[in-house]
Amino acid sequence: MSGDGATEGLTRRTQNSSRELLAKAFFFGCAALSVATTLSIIGLLVYEAAKFFTISAPLLGIEGPTATLTEFFTGSEWGLQGPNLGVMPLVAVTLMVTIGSGLIAIPLGVATALYLSEYASERARSYLKPALEILAGVPSIIYGIFAVAYITPVLDAFFGVDGLFNVASACIVVGIMILPMVASVSEDAMQAVPDDLRQAGYGMGATKYDVSTGVVVPAAASGIFSSFILALSRAIGETMAVTLAGGSLAREFDPTSIASYLSLFDPDSYLEPGMTMTAAMIQLLTGDVTGGGLAYRSLFAVGLVLFVITLAMNVLSDLIARHYQEDYQ
Amino acid sequence: MSEAYEGFGRVSRRIGTLFRGVLFASTLAGILTLAVLLVYVANDAVRPLTADPGWHLTFFLTLVLPTIGVGWWSYQRSYGTLTTGLLGTVLPAVAALYAGGLAALFIDVIPTLVWLSFVVALAVPAALVVGLARTDRDVPFLAELATVLAVTVGSLLVIPGLVQSLPTVPADWMVLVLTLGIPEAILLGRWIGGRWGRRDGWIAGVAILFGSAVGGVIGMTTGLGAIPGVALALFAAVPTGLYVAIVARERPERRIGLLLPAVIVGGALAGELLVGALGFAGPESWVDWGFLTSTVQRGADPGAVGIYSGVVGTILLMFVVAAIAVPAGVGAAVYLEEYAPDTTLTRIIDVNISNLAGVPSVVYGLLGLGLFVRYAGQPTGTLLVGGATLALLVFPIVIISSREAIRAVPDSARQASYGMGATRWQTVKNVVLPRAFPGILTGTILALSRAIGETAPLLVIGAAQVFGVPNSWDSAIGAMPLQLYVWASTYASPAFYTTVLAAGIVVLLTAMLSMNSIAIYVRNHYEQR
Repeated sequence: MSGDGATEGLTRRTQNSSRELLAKAFFFGCAALSVATTLSIIGLLVYEAAKFFTISAPLLGIEGPTATLTEFFTGSEWGLQGPNLGVMPLVAVTLMVTIGSGLIAIPLGVATALYLSEYASERARSYLKPALEILAGVPSIIYGIFAVAYITPVLDAFFGVDGLFNVASACIVVGIMILPMVASVSEDAMQAVPDDLRQAGYGMGATKYDVSTGVVVPAAASGIFSSFILALSRAIGETMAVTLAGGSLAREFDPTSIASYLSLFDPDSYLEPGMTMTAAMIQLLTGDVTGGGLAYRSLFAVGLVLFVITLAMNVLSDLIARHYQEDYQ
Repeated sequence: MSEAYEGFGRVSRRIGTLFRGVLFASTLAGILTLAVLLVYVANDAVRPLTADPGWHLTFFLTLVLPTIGVGWWSYQRSYGTLTTGLLGTVLPAVAALYAGGLAALFIDVIPTLVWLSFVVALAVPAALVVGLARTDRDVPFLAELATVLAVTVGSLLVIPGLVQSLPTVPADWMVLVLTLGIPEAILLGRWIGGRWGRRDGWIAGVAILFGSAVGGVIGMTTGLGAIPGVALALFAAVPTGLYVAIVARERPERRIGLLLPAVIVGGALAGELLVGALGFAGPESWVDWGFLTSTVQRGADPGAVGIYSGVVGTILLMFVVAAIAVPAGVGAAVYLEEYAPDTTLTRIIDVNISNLAGVPSVVYGLLGLGLFVRYAGQPTGTLLVGGATLALLVFPIVIISSREAIRAVPDSARQASYGMGATRWQTVKNVVLPRAFPGILTGTILALSRAIGETAPLLVIGAAQVFGVPNSWDSAIGAMPLQLYVWASTYASPAFYTTVLAAGIVVLLTAMLSMNSIAIYVRNHYEQR
């Protein structure tokens, strides 16, 4: 290569060469794809759900059966054979699973986080943390089979349940699944508490118990609380385990009476089958629903409710973690 | 004030000890529950108690005792000796698993001739790219790109038809030796050549090629089949041999650790021979060859059904998911870490990705159903739709883990590259991606091992409850977890739950475990550097 060629090669502007621009465009396209995914989830759910409701369907030129908003949000029965399209019976069972799994995962998760963060040796941590990750890594369908095949018989021996399906076994397996999420997010929050605070506690004559419960937990409260919300939103979206364990029998639930809300806290009602929102979606889909009929559109309406609830909880958890985080500088 | 003094000096250890005990018990509660459930499943699937006591005794004496003995002895010598032995045991097992899966693809899904024709068609543009890179002439980038694209398209249009109409067709195993053996021989030969010298590289390359052909011949003569023979030779025997060679040559002090796998293999063979000779019956396991290879997918008799269609479906799905999610996920991670200016748009993308990771998997199924089936007009439940839907599901996970890997690349490496006059793309290509590769690989494998267990999205996109071994893009796709769901929901009886379903769980968990063990190995191996 001649001297002139070398000079030209060295001084050539490479910033905007076609190769650089193409590479940048490709990478940007990939990043934009993630936004496109979110937008298409929202757009699709809203558009298809709009076709389901009487109030909006005519605007989209949909004829045939639709459901009113009142029916959907106050109806006490779910079942697409009849005119019963109330989503609340499904939401109620989802709520039961959330309460039940929370009762298991929250105390165990916080205790685990406290043990790992404050008490465990480095060696114990290196064994326990991966072991906990395994709990979250087992596929949910396997948890569903565990619930039916091994946990329901145990429940039957102690409390007596009829048949293979009940909400309690679903709560137990979902509780085990979301436990690592409570534990790891809470532990991160506890680890972030500066050591000065602990030392100050010890300097005041506090015991390790006093420091753990009186200093670390309150100081990490925002992180611990956001871990609850994150884990519970995972429980709400959980599908296969609750479909297999809870069965596919929609309960009756009257959203206008207080007694039905109280029944959510009645231990006996956990020993009966129940269908969550996610289980109802799976049940709808075992038939052929691509035709765009009422069943197909109701699927998206339920999906929209599910998406809005979980998204709101994720955002809330993020807000709590950010805004109420103690600033130790 | 007086109350404060009253408690002073009376500190009881009892509460602290009790509290610590409660915390420890809570930590173990979840882990132990899962462990108990897994023991139950393993017991139901393998049924070890159905074997003769003599069978257990024989294998205890020939396999378990020597393994424990040699393992303990290795550990006493050094920890490294033990890990060498363990790796020497796990590597052939995992490699054989994947070689078997690959062989299943060539036996039932892709006709070898079609495979050969596409490999030849893609080899032409690949040769062009290499040729262009080697010439000194300064070809404008866009002209180069256009030429390569044109040649690729033309070659894909013309060559497969030409190859498939050839009058004489090479045998299946020859095709595999040609298309897989030659690239592997070249790649590993070059690698070994760089490590131990040119001559050894040539020897290794020739040995690999020759070994794969021998594998085909052995497969044909033993009834295993020629295709599994070549696949096992190339993807199980060669990596194992390479590992043994590396240990023997570079780690002489750990060489003795290889005694462990030798004892395990020898003990298993000896036990098998003894059991046969003495007439002890083994366990009547549900996880047997029949279960793994039977394509009978439905039926009220648990003894007749098998998981083969699901296994092949899962392998194919993983290929599609990886092909879509990995380039897109890594690309997005590169953009966010290397290119993105600190603007509102970047922050929106950032928040959006963490929210996407929290969207329930069933909603991704709805997205796939609406986007691919209803609007793109694809048939329900096909390989392409299922793979694309699962790819969207793992997309945010791949982005998050790749970003972490890219962030871990030290800034000094980038600055050095820029200082040498490299452009941004050259820096990404030559510095960032190679350095981040192990981390990206680990994250990708973990993301795929999440996708392997997903059932709900597949059900939502209308995956059929009846499926066979798929043979094209639009055949109904099955998967291991889907198969479990079909059995669990259609035959909801204890007879199914504690027999075939337990066996299916063992197979699915084994697949996931093998993937995770690879991920953990990659991470540990590169962390040590």
